[in-house]
Amino acid sequence: MLTYVLKRIGQTVLTAFLATATVFVLLRMAPGDPAANYAPPNPTSEQLAAIREEFGLDQSIPVQFVTFLQHLFQGDVGTSFFFKRPALEVVMERLPYTITLAVAAIVVTAAVAIPLGVWMARRADTAKDLGANIATIAGQSMPDFWIGFVLLILFAVQLGWFEPAGFTSASSIVLPTVTIAILQIALISRLVRREMVVNLASPYLTVARSRGISERALTWRYAFGNSAIPVVTALGTRFAAMLNGVVIVEVVFKWPGVGELVVNALKQRDFPLIQATVLVTVVLALVVQLLVDLLYPLMDPRVRLGEASS
Amino acid sequence: MTTSTNLPGRQQVPNLSEVPGSILGRDSAVTKVLLRRSAAARRARYSTIKIWVGAICAGVVVVPVALAQLLPLPDPIIGQLSESSLPPLSAGHLFGTDPNGRDLLSRVLHGGQTSLVIGVLAIFVSGLVGIVAGAAAGYFGGWVDTIVSRLLEAQMSLPLLLMLLLVVALFGPSIPVITLVIAFAQWPEPARITRALVLVEREKPYVAAARVLGLHRISIITRHLIPNILQQVLVVVLLLLAQAVLLESALSFLGAGVQRPYPTWGGIISDGRELFVTGKWWLVTIPGVVIALLVVGVNLVGDGLRDRVRRAKGEES
Repeated sequence: MLTYVLKRIGQTVLTAFLATATVFVLLRMAPGDPAANYAPPNPTSEQLAAIREEFGLDQSIPVQFVTFLQHLFQGDVGTSFFFKRPALEVVMERLPYTITLAVAAIVVTAAVAIPLGVWMARRADTAKDLGANIATIAGQSMPDFWIGFVLLILFAVQLGWFEPAGFTSASSIVLPTVTIAILQIALISRLVRREMVVNLASPYLTVARSRGISERALTWRYAFGNSAIPVVTALGTRFAAMLNGVVIVEVVFKWPGVGELVVNALKQRDFPLIQATVLVTVVLALVVQLLVDLLYPLMDPRVRLGEASS
Repeated sequence: MTTSTNLPGRQQVPNLSEVPGSILGRDSAVTKVLLRRSAAARRARYSTIKIWVGAICAGVVVVPVALAQLLPLPDPIIGQLSESSLPPLSAGHLFGTDPNGRDLLSRVLHGGQTSLVIGVLAIFVSGLVGIVAGAAAGYFGGWVDTIVSRLLEAQMSLPLLLMLLLVVALFGPSIPVITLVIAFAQWPEPARITRALVLVEREKPYVAAARVLGLHRISIITRHLIPNILQQVLVVVLLLLAQAVLLESALSFLGAGVQRPYPTWGGIISDGRELFVTGKWWLVTIPGVVIALLVVGVNLVGDGLRDRVRRAKGEES
């Protein structure tokens, strides 16, 4: 168990390092001079050179990388070009907003998708199942930024129920959450249905039914109990992906999270800020994955960690 | 026998004992109506419904997009300022116009050509790479498998959208770059399924027979293994087309799409986003409906085909 966790933490560190290094190199290969974004209008070449020197961009890429690594081992990810503050600090300020949004979205998703999937599986291959099936396919077929705009047009502009953008009050979270949840509900409920159909048709369920166990217990305790692992895995993976990737929804709703931060940082070529964001979100996503994996033995006593993992 | 007399539609069923050549010698309790109502028959019917509904949805979008040059449409790039911001169903402008007086229907159809070309090219590349990598990993195993599997895992843990934005910023938003970026995002899926299918298939006797006959490994894979799994893999690749169209529009929306003035679906929505506050809702809503219609169509066709292929291969749903 302990060796398993240590091994996974080692993998996490390695992956985070690789991701950050890839981003580091890609950023430096990109055309365009970051210094131009931070110089006064019509800068002289001396001014540009001075800014490049200040940012450490006058050195060769390998030298820059070694310096970056030295600082990284001291816990310093660099100073944001734009904010003139430690990049990690800026990211940490934005992180709670992204986490709040991701938690809200995953809770709504689980609360709707699991009952919906079970409902579809109990009515597998009926007209109702076909209808729900087509509805979920439609749910996963709409561009998320477009769902966001349509919700904004309807509920913020026409009806005026919510603030159109940003984080102004607690109700601001409703529309972004719904936007993310629509796609996730469609994906997760289909998975729940697929798992449940297999389990509802298994012999052990027939045996249990013959012993007079109620349909409700059969569905939830027996069939769903055995479907739980893939479903929780999928929810965990989705949650981890949201920590990296609610970029689009954050941009649509001008939600002050990490996604919005990084899109602006890309435009301004704020290298340290981009690197810090990638590092933080990748580590966070990997930690979530690890926690989900550690849940397995609790959900299914047959699972022994470390043995099955290659 | 007494139970069967109460069943509906029994009169239409020929008595099997009277059918020449019948080996049963008794009439069956299973009537045609019951057969039609059986879960298996219903599943078959539902997958047909899905394929047809999907084909119609996709066709409504794809056919006009393909014929955009032939249809009598105004120019998608040069507008007439006298006709700016007309709502849908105005004379001569079915979908209305934007503030520059450009016809929205024309922009949506011409933009669809770019989006579809990128999508089709992207799934072609990702499908090809995925099948080759997945088949090699599944058949050869060993270090080939290790490399491919590690690459798949590494890609899973990267913040994909951010990487794609970076690469587009690096190489410029041209059609080949965007196509390759989308293909890069998508190759894991066909690779994973091809690998899983090849792992099962390579243990079958016909592969051993081919090996005994002295066939080269490459020709075993290309001539014997892949034809047997291609159907299942192609369904997955078709479903990727839906993802590719969505991804392309998301990249355009974030400003990493084909550049203005050439319209793409994501770009049209992105241009309209500042305007819906002023009541010009159609500039955002209509292109989105068109994207959703196409993607729903492709997803329904793919889903229906997947149900069919699974049934043909005798797997559980």
